[in-house]
Amino acid sequence: MYLVASTIFCTEPMMSDRKAELERKKAKLQALREEKDRRRREKELKDVEEAANRMLGGAGDRKELDEMLSSLGVAPVSDILSSISSANSLTPDNSINHTPDSSLQPNSLVNNIPVGKRKTPQLSVVVVQSTIIPPKETVLYTKQTQTTTSGHERDAHATDYYVLTYDDGQGEDEEGSLPHLGGFGSKLPPGILPHGLPQVKEVQPAVTAVEQEQAKQEVKEIRELSEEEKQMIILSEDFQRFIDRAGKIVERALGESVDIYTDYIGGMGEDGLDEKSHQRIALNRWFYDERWSRHRCVTSLDWSPQYPELLLASYNNNEDSPNDPDGVALIWNTKFKKTTPESIFHCQSGVMSATFARFHPNLILGGTYSGQIVLWDNRVQKRTPIQRTPLSASAHTHPVYCVNVVGTQNAHNLISISTDGRLCSWSLDMLSQPQETLELHRMQSKPVAVTCLDFPHSDVNNFVVGSEEGAAYSACRHGAKAGIVDTYDGHQGPITGISVNAVQGGIDFSHLFITSSIDWTIKLWSLKDAKPIYSFEDSSDYVLDVAWSPTNPALFATVDCGGRLDLWNLNQDTEVPAASIYVEGSPALNKVSWTPSGLHVTVGDNQGKIWVYDVAENFAHPRHDEWNKFLYTIQELRNSQVDEELEKLNLSVSSPPLSSMSSLSLTPLR
Amino acid sequence: MSNEVEETMKRIQSHKGVVGTIVVNSEGIPIKTTLDNTTTVQYAGLISALSDKARSVVRDLDPSNDLTFLRIRSKKHEIMVAPDKEFILIVVQTPTD
Repeated sequence: MYLVASTIFCTEPMMSDRKAELERKKAKLQALREEKDRRRREKELKDVEEAANRMLGGAGDRKELDEMLSSLGVAPVSDILSSISSANSLTPDNSINHTPDSSLQPNSLVNNIPVGKRKTPQLSVVVVQSTIIPPKETVLYTKQTQTTTSGHERDAHATDYYVLTYDDGQGEDEEGSLPHLGGFGSKLPPGILPHGLPQVKEVQPAVTAVEQEQAKQEVKEIRELSEEEKQMIILSEDFQRFIDRAGKIVERALGESVDIYTDYIGGMGEDGLDEKSHQRIALNRWFYDERWSRHRCVTSLDWSPQYPELLLASYNNNEDSPNDPDGVALIWNTKFKKTTPESIFHCQSGVMSATFARFHPNLILGGTYSGQIVLWDNRVQKRTPIQRTPLSASAHTHPVYCVNVVGTQNAHNLISISTDGRLCSWSLDMLSQPQETLELHRMQSKPVAVTCLDFPHSDVNNFVVGSEEGAAYSACRHGAKAGIVDTYDGHQGPITGISVNAVQGGIDFSHLFITSSIDWTIKLWSLKDAKPIYSFEDSSDYVLDVAWSPTNPALFATVDCGGRLDLWNLNQDTEVPAASIYVEGSPALNKVSWTPSGLHVTVGDNQGKIWVYDVAENFAHPRHDEWNKFLYTIQELRNSQVDEELEKLNLSVSSPPLSSMSSLSLTPLR
Repeated sequence: MSNEVEETMKRIQSHKGVVGTIVVNSEGIPIKTTLDNTTTVQYAGLISALSDKARSVVRDLDPSNDLTFLRIRSKKHEIMVAPDKEFILIVVQTPTD
């Protein structure tokens, strides 16, 4: 309609033509409609007339009636009937007005008529059959599932069989459990129902009755016991015997519990402490494994930073059993009275040094005689290394006597030094080749045969090493002067152990280090002096290792080849050890190590035994003035050393060789 | 004779951390105690029942075996139970530091 309107506005001459055409079409439609109406009316009239004829029997009566009615001013019967019959066609008439397409109208009429006719025969035949068939189908379906399970039974497949039996078992269980729950009736015929119920009723009263009786008895008996009866029991022989026996057991248990459940510090009773104060070192226990540590020399000891009770010990080869792996590393637990190692690791070459990978609680590193660095993991159910470095010229080709992890959580390296003087630093993520290598040379490019290594506390760059030549060296990893920095000559034989003072406190003593040597002496050095501050010459055998206490700045431990463990407290005495003990059997003691608490000293011997000694608390722990006192002691030792030298020089001056004058002039400067 | 019993009881009681000592018969009736009556009765009944149960467990596992000692460690106490054919000795102690 809008379109038409718009065209009207736009084109004036076209409009008249169009209008005429529209008029024509309308007239045509009107004619058609009238024609149709007329025909329909005629048809309807015919129908109505036929119906009226059928109903009334004669047309004449109706005509008369019509005439009568029309005379009275009322519409004839035929008209009314026709209007009633055409009530349905009223909507079609309207639709014709709206939509010119009237083809739908006859269709609807056609449809309406046959549906009414077909309905009866369709219902009687189809609907009844369809309602019967679906239930039959569902029944068949359930039968099918049953037949498939029976089909599985025929199959000889193992898995199918298991599944089937499992299902059957479940089914039985369910059925068996049903009677107890009382849900029996739903499955079984009512005849069995009474059979199940009495069972339940019979059991329950029986149990409750017994319990009630017991309860009653207890109550009664507690009331029954009188003082006299009690006295009778107490005086009976049985009771006496019982008390004697049970009392002893409980007393033992009470005594033991104090040992077990309290920590090492407060562990001993008052009597024990008294004894211990007299005895500064006491054997606590030893670690030994018949299979893995027998006849193997302990080559290193290390403590877990994460679990202070865990001790890592590495062992050399056992010459008596050439078929066993050469290298062994065992983790021992000092917390529990367990006699077997916590973990066992081994490799093909003797382990000369081992350390916990400081920032990886599960990894253990070992330096071997062959020069390989091996890596074990205690999470893996494998005793052999999970990784090892290659045997190549880029890494070590000589025995690795020292390994150490230095750095921080985010930046740390494994430092290893072999006896050809090569230092390698490794990243634990990549053991295929060292991150950097450094050759440790004396002057004249003579390699340093490194036997021992120590880093000052939290230092990653500077370190000290002991060598086979008898000299100790300080060295640094980085910088312009990477390599050997200073030489500390003094020992007459190879250095076996080196330790830097690592006690944290008011005064820093990290410049102090001690060395032990085959020449029977232990020497105290300062990094600032080329000559030793003091030489301890109390031992009468090779001194094989030395270690500063981690808690007391003036305390250190030494072990020698004759089985002697010495504890030196320089604040008490510098001439003789403050405490010393001979290890049972006098084995050669190869390594000594302090627990992180400083209360125990562990000693590894050459027969595969590790001895744990308790150090008296008052002896191990420093007093608050220990640092100042130690500073004073060191100064005194230096002074006496200078005095000694001066005396020597004075003696030599008195019989004057001129050449010594120069050295005399130098001494006061030190 | 009863002196020895007293002595043993005293010795146990004098141990560091021991709170109480109770001797009960096989039916769970207290015979001697160092604790007050209500606590004693409670301990006697409960511990004798537990000890019976523990014994039956040990015997069920191995008929030739028998329960000899029972320790119950809790946050506050440790209860040591030394059972015998006819009597049970119960010692309650608090863990010392």
